[in-house]
Amino acid sequence: MSKIILIAFVLILNLRADEAHEIIKKLDENFRGKNIYMKLEMKILFMGHERSMKMQSYSQGTKKSFVKIIYPPKDDGITFLSLDGEMWQYVPKIERIIKIPPSMMLQKWMGSDITNDDMVKQSSIVEDYEPKIIKKEGSLVIIELLPKENAPVVWGKIVLNIDTKTYTSSKDIFYDEEGKEVRYFIYENVKKVGNYYIPTYWRVQSSDVEGRYTEIFLEEVEYDREISEEYFQKSALKRFSK
Amino acid sequence: MYKLILKLAWKNSFLRRARVLLVIIMIAVSMSMMLVLEGVYDGLVKNMVDKNKRSESGDISIFAKEYRVNRDLTYRIKNADEIKAQLQSMKGVEAVVLRVKADGLLSTARKSSFASLIGIDLKEEEHFGKFSEFLKEGVIDLQKQGAIVGIELAKTLKLRIGSKVVFSTQDTKGEINSIALHVRAIVQTTNIGLDNSAIFIDINQSHKFLGTTSQDAMQIAIRGEERELYEKLKRAFPNLDVKEFLELQPMMKMMQDVMIIFNSVTFLIVMGVVFIGIFGVMYVSILERVREFGIMISLGMPYRYIRAQIFLESIVVGLLGYLGGAVLGAVLLIYLERYGIDLSAFSDALEMWGYEAVIYATIKVSYFTTTFGAIITASLLSVIIPLAKIKKLNPIEVIKADK
Amino acid sequence: MFKLALKNTLFYKGRSTATAVLTFASTILFILYISLTNGSHNAILENSLKIYTGAIEIYHKDYRDIGGNEYLIQNVKAITDKLAKIEAIEAYSTRYETYGLLSNKEHSAASMVAGIEPEKEKILSSLESALTEGAFLDKNSANCVYMGIELAKKLKLGIGDEVAFIGSASDGSFAADIFRVCATFKTGSFEFDSSSSFIARSYFDELMYAKNRASYITIKLKNIDDAEKVNSQIITIIDDENLESLTWKTLMRNMVESMEVDAVFGYISLSLFMVVIFFVIMIYGFINVSSRIKGFGVLRCIGLSKRNIFSILFYEILILSILATVLATPIAAYICYYYSINPIVIEGIADIYKDYGIVLNEIPFDFNLFTIGWNLGVIYLLNFLSILYPYMYINSFGPFEATRHV
Repeated sequence: MSKIILIAFVLILNLRADEAHEIIKKLDENFRGKNIYMKLEMKILFMGHERSMKMQSYSQGTKKSFVKIIYPPKDDGITFLSLDGEMWQYVPKIERIIKIPPSMMLQKWMGSDITNDDMVKQSSIVEDYEPKIIKKEGSLVIIELLPKENAPVVWGKIVLNIDTKTYTSSKDIFYDEEGKEVRYFIYENVKKVGNYYIPTYWRVQSSDVEGRYTEIFLEEVEYDREISEEYFQKSALKRFSK
Repeated sequence: MYKLILKLAWKNSFLRRARVLLVIIMIAVSMSMMLVLEGVYDGLVKNMVDKNKRSESGDISIFAKEYRVNRDLTYRIKNADEIKAQLQSMKGVEAVVLRVKADGLLSTARKSSFASLIGIDLKEEEHFGKFSEFLKEGVIDLQKQGAIVGIELAKTLKLRIGSKVVFSTQDTKGEINSIALHVRAIVQTTNIGLDNSAIFIDINQSHKFLGTTSQDAMQIAIRGEERELYEKLKRAFPNLDVKEFLELQPMMKMMQDVMIIFNSVTFLIVMGVVFIGIFGVMYVSILERVREFGIMISLGMPYRYIRAQIFLESIVVGLLGYLGGAVLGAVLLIYLERYGIDLSAFSDALEMWGYEAVIYATIKVSYFTTTFGAIITASLLSVIIPLAKIKKLNPIEVIKADK
Repeated sequence: MFKLALKNTLFYKGRSTATAVLTFASTILFILYISLTNGSHNAILENSLKIYTGAIEIYHKDYRDIGGNEYLIQNVKAITDKLAKIEAIEAYSTRYETYGLLSNKEHSAASMVAGIEPEKEKILSSLESALTEGAFLDKNSANCVYMGIELAKKLKLGIGDEVAFIGSASDGSFAADIFRVCATFKTGSFEFDSSSSFIARSYFDELMYAKNRASYITIKLKNIDDAEKVNSQIITIIDDENLESLTWKTLMRNMVESMEVDAVFGYISLSLFMVVIFFVIMIYGFINVSSRIKGFGVLRCIGLSKRNIFSILFYEILILSILATVLATPIAAYICYYYSINPIVIEGIADIYKDYGIVLNEIPFDFNLFTIGWNLGVIYLLNFLSILYPYMYINSFGPFEATRHV
């Protein structure tokens, strides 16, 4: 008898673990689709000044992405290409393609709170973490992501607040190894695009630095649109800069 | 006859006991101080050189040409395992290690810093340079993605034993790769470069991570003190960059040179003053006894016996001083060799220059032999002038003269 | 008593000469040694100050620890206007430092790129004198970059070549430009030479939106010894708690400490010399006294007190010390003075070590009357101490015993 209970219990646990995996997978798919095109505005509040940038982003799966800056005019035409963990940048003003060396990858991206590394390692959330449901309330699920052993990630844990109606998160909190909060993402204004749901307002903020955050407004989102392979070649940097 | 002279000399040496004792004490004290100084300075430099050799460069290091300028994976030695085997069979080579190195970024959730990943074989490093002696905290163990970090790097990133860090760099294919590492130990090598930026992992792990093979290495470090070895290796590997310790560490060379100059100057000054001291005492004691000598000469004792007696006297004084100094110096040196001088008040600065906060002395036989030579020489020289004076004397006048 | 002492000193010529000569030699040795140690330390300091660090530097708080655009000094002109009023400041200049990527074809390297005011740097730092090839920057040198020789090597750049720069401007926005290598420099510090490049602020500020902003202000003083005093003056005059003004003692704490260590070792060695010399002087004094025991006995018999005997000995040593130091001090002082103006140049070392980044090849002496003063004090003290044992020795004899002493 007790054995049956035990088996049932294990089964339930497994189910819950599977459920967590399922939720994270869906969440990730929502963010990415097979491929995704976005036009977005990024606002950076920094020392009381707000700076705004607009860009177009094309990405396919987890390994390929192409970003073009379209605003402000002085930066118009700067392009970034990341392919398999490497990253290049083209600057029309100087007509040069520059490979970003590893040491620059972890620096803040264009003065925002997002690092180059965040952009390159998008896949990490599914591959490198073990999800666990810690609370369920109606459609709201709080999932804790603990890094898998030896996963090359710096966070001690990430806590996601997911709405299972849409499979989008409303808040991701990143913790360091000691369990102290380091930064958080806030997502709002979920929209349905095709078969996917996506929040169109994001906000990234360091937990212990006040008066400084990065906001992202998605102006256009298109999922699974055929994106030409031409975007994911080095020649694209220059070609699509104009 | 010589027995008599010896007896005379011995007795005469102590005719004025307080005075002679003063000279002996002077020689003993200044000599022992000098020995301690020498021992401590040498200990300082030796310790530093030793730690640098053990932790990094060995007596000789071999790199691929260009590697030292560019520090890039492309410039690696591609048949390092063959070279290693070849070296191990060479005469004069005591130990060989291969190291894999890559520069990159080491990060925690809050901070990241430049770092050098160094792949090592712990067992071989232990044989090569007693790696475990650098341990400051934790356990030396590189299994299961364990890592050992330099003490300053640990401070910069606020790492503790058990901390997880991520190291990112470009692998051989040019892709950026990251690896999670668990800090198992913190080491202090007092080799500034390593303490500031090194993170050691297992060499096989580093091959896997970087995409290199066990044939590859960035550095082959060699222990072996034979002088010809360097030239031999240079000839044997003309396509590689063969560097000896002092070329890799010019600062150390300068330090060694400065210490040698400094010690020699100290030695000369101290011996000079010792000479003046003995001279004064001998001069007075001889002049006081001019009458005696006059009598001895007029009794038919040849001048050379008097000379021998006086020489012996000064040697007795010098020798006793030397013995005192040698014993005192040796005791102090042995103490300092074992317990060291604690200079922790200046530890930041000391470590910046690669010294340790506690300085241990070294003892070399040469300290005692050269000082011995110098003191005996000083003793002998110090009586030359008084002797010349005696030689000039007319014995009859001397005896008549009432001082 | 004094007369008696004077007579004695004249009478025992041998001893007097020996003591005087020894005191003379040790005075000279002592003064020169201290002067050399201090002098070379000052030289090391000035050398490193001259390369890039100022005697005083003003930062926004946290810039040194955390860095980044948040901690730039804003409204620099308001501060420099105040600095201009401080008399003891010889020159000041503002620098805007940033880290960016320099790239030449497939070679790229992260580098500190600093916007400087070339005319002022000529006075403030030895950047200009580190020039190896090309011409130093000036106000109108536009996109000319003055690059560390090791960095140029790494990037495979020669004079006249172009190099791409990308980084972020002071407002965090994107900055990119093409620079031209107009000159290279070598300070001897590998770190510095392999990771720094300079460009005129007049040009760089436009690119980086850095007008009237600075990473820090660097200050050269007329006299570096005034650093602490001027620093507190600066703090009062600027009166801004978000800024910090630091002297070289803080800026280069490691170097200051290591010089202290060096000085400690120096003093240890010196004390060795002093002990030896002290012994010798004492031995000479002792020999002299012991040959005069009879005489002292007589003096005691005719009614002189122990105190009187002591004063005789004291006056004797005083006369000799004064004689020796009066001769030695001007000579030593002159040597110090001479070498403080014309430093000793170690030719061989310079050539060998310059390639390795050891810039110092001149060893000047330090000429400081205060130092010479306390040095003399130590010599006198040693000499006075050296009569204690002989004095005790005499007193160990009773007056009559002494008169019969052989």
